[in-house]
Amino acid sequence: MPSPPQVDPRGPRFAAWVTSAVLIAVLLTGWWPLLAAQAVVFAIGAFAGLRWSPYSALYRVLVAPRLAPTDERKDVAPLRFAQGVGFVFTLLGTTGYVLGVPALGIVATAIALAAAFLNAAFGFCLGCESYLLVNRLSNTNKEVGTAR
Amino acid sequence: MTGALVVVATLLVATAIGFALRAANGRVRTAGPDAGGSVPDEVRAVLDPAAAVTLVQLTSAYCAQCGQAEKVLAGAAAATGGLAHTTVDLTDRPELAARLAVLRTPTTLAVDARGVELLRIGGVPKQAELLDALRDHLPA
Repeated sequence: MPSPPQVDPRGPRFAAWVTSAVLIAVLLTGWWPLLAAQAVVFAIGAFAGLRWSPYSALYRVLVAPRLAPTDERKDVAPLRFAQGVGFVFTLLGTTGYVLGVPALGIVATAIALAAAFLNAAFGFCLGCESYLLVNRLSNTNKEVGTAR
Repeated sequence: MTGALVVVATLLVATAIGFALRAANGRVRTAGPDAGGSVPDEVRAVLDPAAAVTLVQLTSAYCAQCGQAEKVLAGAAAATGGLAHTTVDLTDRPELAARLAVLRTPTTLAVDARGVELLRIGGVPKQAELLDALRDHLPA
């Protein structure tokens, strides 16, 4: 079996800390352009690849040179999926703030913050864990005629 | 003000979830929804007929810890007589995941030669605890 693409796991942990800080700032200020920017960061990570994400670039330039190299590696696919989940929630949140439904903005941002913080502080990737659940739900939808 | 309260509440809840997940990770569950019942035919088909117990590791393409779990399980199987290890990918089989009542990967089922589920473990198993729980089902 060819080995799947992998990354230094400390990069995504660093990115999760930055994401947490950004989302906390959004909740404190309610300033939607910042949330929209975070949604774009998630979209880049999910659709273009983690390598292109601004936080990964920040890690490579600022943090990685100061750390000892590691042999520890993590698969990229779950992380990209999780970025996609983050994108959905931040997009929902931005929509809520912009359309004047702050409750939606706050709830969606808070869920994204909880997931980012769990990843940063505990190393748990909630987005990855949710894959089976999301898959099961979308399968249920398929049965009533919604194509994926 | 609302924002600050939401931040504090969210971080508290996430911390609680983090500790709960950490505690549940790798714990052996003998009283799961299907414990003592027969596994579906798809799982029965991958059992090692020569082994007393097969560790069936359920994986998916978006699984962050499946590699670690695989290392532990393969090591346990290699070091223990009568114990086999295999994997089933649930990525494109949500209906099987639903029948097995599996919400996260990795989840590992220990299944005996008759196809009865003995126990299951969510997350990365701990080898010593796993072998201890299976002792009665393995040849001495």
